Amino acid sequence: MNSKIVFTVVFSFLLFSSCSDDDNDSEELTGSGEVSIKFDNGFAGNDLVLGATNTANTNGEVLTITRFSYIVSNFSLVNDMGEEYVFPKDDSYFIINQELEDDNIVLPEIPAGEYTTLKFGVGVDQEKYLQGAEGQGDFLEKAEASNMMWSWQAGYKFLNFEGNFTSETVTEATEFKIHMGSHGSSLDNYKEVSLALPNKLRVGDEIDSSIHLKIDASKILVATNNIQLTEKSVIMVDEVKSPQIAVNTTEMFVVDHLHNGDAHD
Amino acid sequence: MRPVCHGQVASYKEMNISNYIKFVFIAILLVSCSNDDTEYAPINEPLEFVNPTNFPQATYNFEANPPTKLGFELGKKLFYDGKLSSNGFISCGFCHEQAFAFTHHGHQFSHGIDDLEGTRNTPPIQNMAFLNEFAWDGATNHLDLFPIIPITNEVEMGETMTNVISKLQSDPDYPNEFQAAFEDGEVNSENFLKALGQFMAMMISSNSKYDKYIRNEEGGNFSELEKQGLAIFQQKCNSCHSTELFTDNSFRNNGLPPNPQLNDLGREEVSGASTDRYKFKVPSLRNIEKTAPYMHDGRLGTLMSVLNFYDAGVSDSETLDPLLKNDNRLGIGLSLEEKNALVAFLTTLTDETYLNDPRFAEY
Ligand code: HEC
Ligand code: HEC
Repeated sequence: MNSKIVFTVVFSFLLFSSCSDDDNDSEELTGSGEVSIKFDNGFAGNDLVLGATNTANTNGEVLTITRFSYIVSNFSLVNDMGEEYVFPKDDSYFIINQELEDDNIVLPEIPAGEYTTLKFGVGVDQEKYLQGAEGQGDFLEKAEASNMMWSWQAGYKFLNFEGNFTSETVTEATEFKIHMGSHGSSLDNYKEVSLALPNKLRVGDEIDSSIHLKIDASKILVATNNIQLTEKSVIMVDEVKSPQIAVNTTEMFVVDHLHNGDAHD
Repeated sequence: MRPVCHGQVASYKEMNISNYIKFVFIAILLVSCSNDDTEYAPINEPLEFVNPTNFPQATYNFEANPPTKLGFELGKKLFYDGKLSSNGFISCGFCHEQAFAFTHHGHQFSHGIDDLEGTRNTPPIQNMAFLNEFAWDGATNHLDLFPIIPITNEVEMGETMTNVISKLQSDPDYPNEFQAAFEDGEVNSENFLKALGQFMAMMISSNSKYDKYIRNEEGGNFSELEKQGLAIFQQKCNSCHSTELFTDNSFRNNGLPPNPQLNDLGREEVSGASTDRYKFKVPSLRNIEKTAPYMHDGRLGTLMSVLNFYDAGVSDSETLDPLLKNDNRLGIGLSLEEKNALVAFLTTLTDETYLNDPRFAEY
C-alpha cells in the first residue's frame, strides 16, 4: 500500500474520531446538549397535505384532511443505564400544528448521555390541570392560536382532526370532526407514548442531536380500535369513542431516524 | 427611597374572632423586597386566608397561588373590568352582582354580549376555595381556569384570551400593576388567571345567622321555627346539600322535568356519559334568599316554589337520584308547616357581612 494512502486513511481516522462520531462509544460525553424532535406528519406512508385527498383506508373511507394538530407533553429520555431524565414540566407542553407548519420542538440543556428511549404524553395530564394557573406561562394563548381550547369547558383539545370524507355508503363529501381531550374530571384521555430509539441518541457539550419521528395520521381511525366515520363523523365528547381515539393516537408515532451531533434543520 | 418589606400577615376585623383557625401561608416577599433600586415600588404583602372554623378544609391550593394584597386588588380590578369582553362593556361583575351573592339579579338566563342569552342561571360566587367542580356541569375542576369559559363564550363575553392579554399589555396601568403583584411581573395568561383566582378564592361567606348559631356567637339566636326548619333540613335535605357548604360537590338529578326547548343534558355534556344525563351540581344554599331565581335554568322564582317542587313536582327518569324515590313516592313529602319552617331556616343562611363586604365591592 502506498504510504500516501496510509497517511490519508490514518489522518482521516484521527480527524473523524476527534469529532463526535455515532459509533464511538468509548468517548466521554460531558455537559449538556440540545435535542430537537421533528414531527413529520404523514398519512398511510404519504405526506399529509391539507386539502388533498388521501387513499382509502381499510374501512373504504377516503379522507381529505383540513386540520391536524395535537398537543405533546412531558418529555423524558431514558439512557442506556435505564436512568430517566425528565424535562422540566412547566416547559414541556408543545403544539404540533400542520396548518401553521409547527412541527419541530427543541428541548435544551439535556444532560450528556446516550439515550435509548424517548417518552412523552399526548395531551395535558390531570396533574397539570390541577395546578390551575401555576406554571401555565403563555401556553393558553398558544393553544388558543391553534384552536386547541374547548371554550365550553376550560380544557384543551388534545387532538384536532378535521376534514371531509366519502365512503361506499356516504357518496357526498361529508364533514368529519374529531376533537379529543379529557372530559373534565370524569374521563382522563391523556396517554403516554414510549418509543425505543433505533440506535443511541448521543448528547453532550457541543453535541446537539435530533430525533425524526414519522406520524401516521391514518392510525387515528384505524389502529387498535376501528373507528368508522360512516357510523359517526363528529366525535367530540363520546364516552366510548373518545378514549378509543386517544389509544389510537398514541400509535401514530414511529421513530424514523436520528441525527447524532447534528441537529436537524 | 428604600421600600419597606412587610412580612406580616394582614388582618381583617373578623379575623380577630378567637375561634377561627388561622392558616398562615408561607409569606413570600414579592417584588417590593427584591427591588432595592426602584424608586416608588408599590409594597406588596401576603394576604391571609382564614378557614372558618365550622367549614371543612379548603381545597384551593393556596401554596401554588399565594394571595397577596396587590394580586387580590388586581384580581378585583379585572373582575369589574369590561375590557375582558369583546365590546368592552361586559365584566364578570355584570352578571355576578355582590348584593345578590354575585348572581345576575332578575335574570333567569344571563345575557352577555349583544344581549345574547345563555341557557343557564348564574350561580353565586362564594366559598369557591372549597369547591372542586365549577359550573352546573363541572366544566372545569380548577377555579383558576374558570374565567376562560365566560371570556371565550360567544354569548357571555365573546373574547379570546389572546386579545384580552394584548389589551391589558397596551393599557397604561395594567403592566405596572402586574409588575407589582407578581414576581416575574409579566402580563400573561398565567398571572391574569392567578390574580382572578386570588380574588375569587378569598371570597368567603361564613357569617350568616346560621354560622353564628353553630359557632355559638352573638347574633346567633335561632327562633323555634328556625330550629324546627334546621331539624327538617337535616332530616330531608342534607344528604345532598351537606356540610357547612350545603353541597356534597356531586352531580345529581333532582327530578326537574327537562325543558325540551333547552335540552340541557347537564353533566353528560362534560363526561359524554348517558348515565350523567340531567345531572347538575348540587348547589350551595348559602345566601339562597338573595339568589332567586332557582335551579340551573332559573325556572323557579321563590323558595316556596322550590319546596313545592320537591314535595309534588319531582319527575321520574332513569337518572333520578335514588334518594328522591323513597317510600313508594317521588320527591320529599313536606307539610305546609314544614315548608314554612324550612323557608325560615333557609333565610338564616343570608350573610349581610358578605353581601356588603367592601373588600369585594365594585366601588
Ligand atoms: C353573561 C353573564 C356572565 C359573565 C359575564 C360571567 N359569568 Fe360567571 N357564570 C355565569 C353563568 C351563567 C354561570 C354558570 C355556567 C354554567 O353552569 O354553565 C357562571 C358560573 C361562574 C362560576 C362557577 C360558580 C360555581 O358555583 O360553579 C365562576 C367561578 C364564575 N362564573 C366566575 C366568572 C368570572 C371570573 C367572570 C369574568 C371573567 C364571569 N364569571 C363572567 C354568567 C356569567
Ligand atoms: C338528591 C339530592 C337532593 C336532595 C335530597 C335535595 N336537593 Fe336541593 N338540589 C339538588 C340538586 C342536584 C339541585 C340543582 C338541580 C338543578 O338545577 O338542576 C338542587 C337545587 C336546590 C335549590 C336551588 C338552588 C339554586 O341555587 O338554584 C334549592 C333552594 C334546594 N335544592 C333546596 C333543597 C331543600 C330545601 C331540600 C330538602 C327539602 C333539598 N334541596 C333536597 C339536590 C338535592
